[in-house]
Amino acid sequence: MNKKQIKKTLLHDWHLEHGANMAMFGGYEMPLWYPSGAKREHLAVLTGAGMFDTSHMAVIMVEGPGTLDLFQACFTKDLEACIGKGKTPLVPGRCAYGAFLDDLGHVRDDAIVSQIAPEMYMIVVNAGMGGQIARYLKDQAGGSDIEIHDLTDGVGKMDIQGPMSARILAKIIREPEAVFDRMVYFSFKGFFDDDSPLAGAVRLLDGTPVMLSRTGYTGEFGFEIFINPDNIERAWKMALEAGKNFELTVCGLAARDSLRAGAVLPLSHQDIGPWPFINNPWSFAIPFNNDRTGFTKKFIGDQALKGIEEPEHTYPFAGFDMRKVSPDDSTVVTDSDSAEIGVVLTCVTDMAIGRVEGKIYSVASPDKPDGFNPKGLSCGFIRVTKKLSGGDTVELKDGRRTIKVAIVDDIRPDRTARRAIKNML
Amino acid sequence: MKEIEELFLPDNVRYAETHEWARDDDGNVTVGINDYAQDQLGDIVFVELPEVGATLDKGEEFGTLESVKAVSEIYMPVSGEITAINEALEEAPELVNQEPYNRGWIIEVKPDDPDEINTLMDNNEYIETLKGDE
Repeated sequence: MNKKQIKKTLLHDWHLEHGANMAMFGGYEMPLWYPSGAKREHLAVLTGAGMFDTSHMAVIMVEGPGTLDLFQACFTKDLEACIGKGKTPLVPGRCAYGAFLDDLGHVRDDAIVSQIAPEMYMIVVNAGMGGQIARYLKDQAGGSDIEIHDLTDGVGKMDIQGPMSARILAKIIREPEAVFDRMVYFSFKGFFDDDSPLAGAVRLLDGTPVMLSRTGYTGEFGFEIFINPDNIERAWKMALEAGKNFELTVCGLAARDSLRAGAVLPLSHQDIGPWPFINNPWSFAIPFNNDRTGFTKKFIGDQALKGIEEPEHTYPFAGFDMRKVSPDDSTVVTDSDSAEIGVVLTCVTDMAIGRVEGKIYSVASPDKPDGFNPKGLSCGFIRVTKKLSGGDTVELKDGRRTIKVAIVDDIRPDRTARRAIKNML
Repeated sequence: MKEIEELFLPDNVRYAETHEWARDDDGNVTVGINDYAQDQLGDIVFVELPEVGATLDKGEEFGTLESVKAVSEIYMPVSGEITAINEALEEAPELVNQEPYNRGWIIEVKPDDPDEINTLMDNNEYIETLKGDE
């Protein structure tokens, strides 16, 4: 990649001034960690709060008659049956997670779709994917009146994640009680464009309109904040100042990666990608009917997900200490008979967890043993040809070492993402 | 990330191209990784140490450093026998980040050739190699 193609977010200079260790990700030069170190950043999101520059993520606006039908055809989540246990339709103010597949059932990208108004949606896809997904949606929309605008680099985004997030935000937004009232997980209020009728709902103290979304990529309680790029540096500094009394730590992509892996969230193009989007921990994004014999709607890729003859399975795993392997082409998974059964997709260390008498605790676990001071556990995802069950152990082998890990249903316990907001103020 | 001028590269140790440092302590050679390496690796969460008594050649891998980012090999800056390992790193691997030249030392070596350490770079020569990498 030559220097001309390296993209920077508007906070790039701030990151450099604050000693960030930078690296390329999705075409952007992004902070990996700051001088506080990735471990402290990771822990801060469990015990206090962490703030992330996520402006590299791409935002696409989709609106006009037929938009819901377009998403129903192109997106795995059934937007007419996705809210709560009753599976009611998506409504304005709520968000849904799913994936865009191709005809083979392979993942183009994953996304969060937020319904702004009837037939008006905002989607957030991964860094560098805005153009590709916008073009794909335009192709699928054909000659309809649906308008699709790729806002890549046109929207600033910063995330505040961790149990102290709402208390910090309460210091920098107007009327926080009204904003936080009944703000459930995967809902949002406000909008970043003053011309939107929603814009008045959430404003910073200086009047800047923002879209505040109770989403994130850490598994912990927190918010994503969408804002006009001209205002992001000011908002960032306001939050930092307000966060001084709440252990707010600026975090880089390394902490983001270890937090999301421990929360069993996939990284697009690594844990999900050019293979069928099924038999993985993210079946909630697939519109299965109640007895899982079929789907509640037709969508692109649906036929390919049915009747796969030699299915592969993606499982989360947790190791027994902090040592990890480096996933590359030569890294393999072997079963108890030493047979090669697959590949390692992600292997990181969640530095907030440890095993005590076989059970995994986190530093945030209310029932953690006295004096619990974990060194971390390796964790991540494997994709294998053999069906495994929770508790099964396998070995991961790279060019350097072999580690034993256990297949698990969940990795970092006692996460806060879904806590009721009234308990977090 | 530290700029080159921000790096602490003391002049009482010698430097290997692979970012280890080596210091002559009364005939034995103490070895660690330098400030540039620890800054690049980020938080070190585990140090895999060799057995005391092992004899290794210059350039051979004697252990690994596991950081949040990756697992990296550490190499012998001189040939010799490992006479001590820093057992404190088992409980506190972060010492390598915090005090790379003091409490974050990694191994002590009895060199086969006491003069071999002088074939390593001094801090000014090492800084030149870092500039070349930029």
